[in-house]
Amino acid sequence: MRFEKLVKPGDLELAGQILKDDPYSVILGGYTFLRISDKKYSTAIDLSDLSLDYIKDNKTQIEIGSYTTLREIETSSTINRYWGNLLPRSLENLVGIQFRNNATIGGAICCRLGFSEIITALLVLDCELVFKEIGTVSLLDYISNRNIKHDILKKIILQKREGKSSYQAMRNSSTDLPILSVAVSDFDKISIAVGARPAIAGLSEKASRLINSDRSKIAETAELIAEEFNFGNDLRSSSEYRKKIASVLVKHALTEVLS
Amino acid sequence: MKITLKINNQVYTTHIDADESLLDTLRKLGFKSVKKGCDTGTCGVCTVLKNGKPVLSCQILAARAEGHDITTVEGLGEKADEIVDAIVSEGADQCGYCGPSLVVTTYAMKQELKDPTIEKINQYLSGNLCRCSGYEGQLRGIKKYMGVK
Ligand SMILES: Cc1cc2nc3c(=O)[nH]c(=O)nc-3n(C[C@H](O)[C@H](O)[C@H](O)COP(=O)(O)OP(=O)(O)OC[C@H]3O[C@@H](n4cnc5c(N)ncnc54)[C@H](O)[C@@H]3O)c2cc1C
Ligand code: FES
Ligand code: FES
Repeated sequence: MRFEKLVKPGDLELAGQILKDDPYSVILGGYTFLRISDKKYSTAIDLSDLSLDYIKDNKTQIEIGSYTTLREIETSSTINRYWGNLLPRSLENLVGIQFRNNATIGGAICCRLGFSEIITALLVLDCELVFKEIGTVSLLDYISNRNIKHDILKKIILQKREGKSSYQAMRNSSTDLPILSVAVSDFDKISIAVGARPAIAGLSEKASRLINSDRSKIAETAELIAEEFNFGNDLRSSSEYRKKIASVLVKHALTEVLS
Repeated sequence: MKITLKINNQVYTTHIDADESLLDTLRKLGFKSVKKGCDTGTCGVCTVLKNGKPVLSCQILAARAEGHDITTVEGLGEKADEIVDAIVSEGADQCGYCGPSLVVTTYAMKQELKDPTIEKINQYLSGNLCRCSGYEGQLRGIKKYMGVK
């Protein structure tokens, strides 16, 4: 990516105004994905002075500022206490520590990448996004609706839950992009998300209904996952292979969660 | 634009393009130990420390490095020698291209890992690719340096 000017607003209002006034401006997270894009912008807006780098433990919720790095999330003792360690597990194979010391949760979500592992994991938690202008949006709505206005993500809110979860991903080689990712949580009910299909992660309805009605039906649920989602081809995998892998990973995840 | 960087405890003032990477600026300033491999955040050979943490300098804008402490392998001095000796004693290096970044990451790992294990070391170094050595010798040396059997 190329740009002409870098600005570092000292408050969120000013950052929002710059974004509104300049249609060729771009918000910078850690700049890891923007770096490899071939787009050109006039102004790059640096959020590093907006105090958006935090993990707050509220009574029933955890709030994560959008400028918090993936590595801070992975190593946070607060985050590690909830959701059966799901978030750190979804991050630990993402390129390397150097990369995760720089990439932010805001950038990881707002990229809305098909292969995003953190989006797969967050989908099985109760996750809301809080934007400057548009306010609060559920993660599922945000990734399903590309027409949502471009806005500055301030923070994400996660309801605290304790219970079992599992994260599974398949890669052709370690640290490469995943060709499939699966997250399963079991708090009051079982939720299953499948990502990197290569389309963006989706939340299962049919297969989840089956396993919630009868917790012994692991194999049937895993088979049903392959029918419920569409799988595509790309450089890394065929759709047929992804379909088979999806069933295997869901079976592994359910077995881990229900054992 | 004009920026001031603190690199290895010394202050440098230089002119850059707004979208210049720290990697390019460091190399222009003569820090040739910082290598340009993939330039896309994949290989790890451009690793430097930003406030003590390993980051990929190809993914950091030079302008955003202002106000932070940047350390390259040159700045580690004798602390680097200790790591290099451990790696060399296992006959691990071949072309040496990945060496400076591996040393910098290993140094950061030593500060960060309270209770190192082989798994944690492998995990910590997974972003440092080497195209020659096959990793075994390097890891033997680094395990020795980390005090892991
Ligand atoms: C080489 C490479 C390998 C990768 N491998 C994996 C992998 O294995 N698994 C995986 O899940 N992901 C992978 N990724 C994707 C990675 O997760 C993203 O690059 C990263 O999370 C983006 O974070 P960032 O902070 O650098 O965002 P940036 O690159 O800075 O920004 C990304 C997008 O988000 C927008 N944005 C950033 N912050 C905000 C905000 N606060 N509000 C609104 N918009 C915002 C930016 O404008 C931009 O459009 C890989 C990427 C690369 C380059
Ligand atoms: S040159 Fe920076 S990661 Fe390869
Ligand atoms: S020794 Fe040649 S790249 Fe590592």
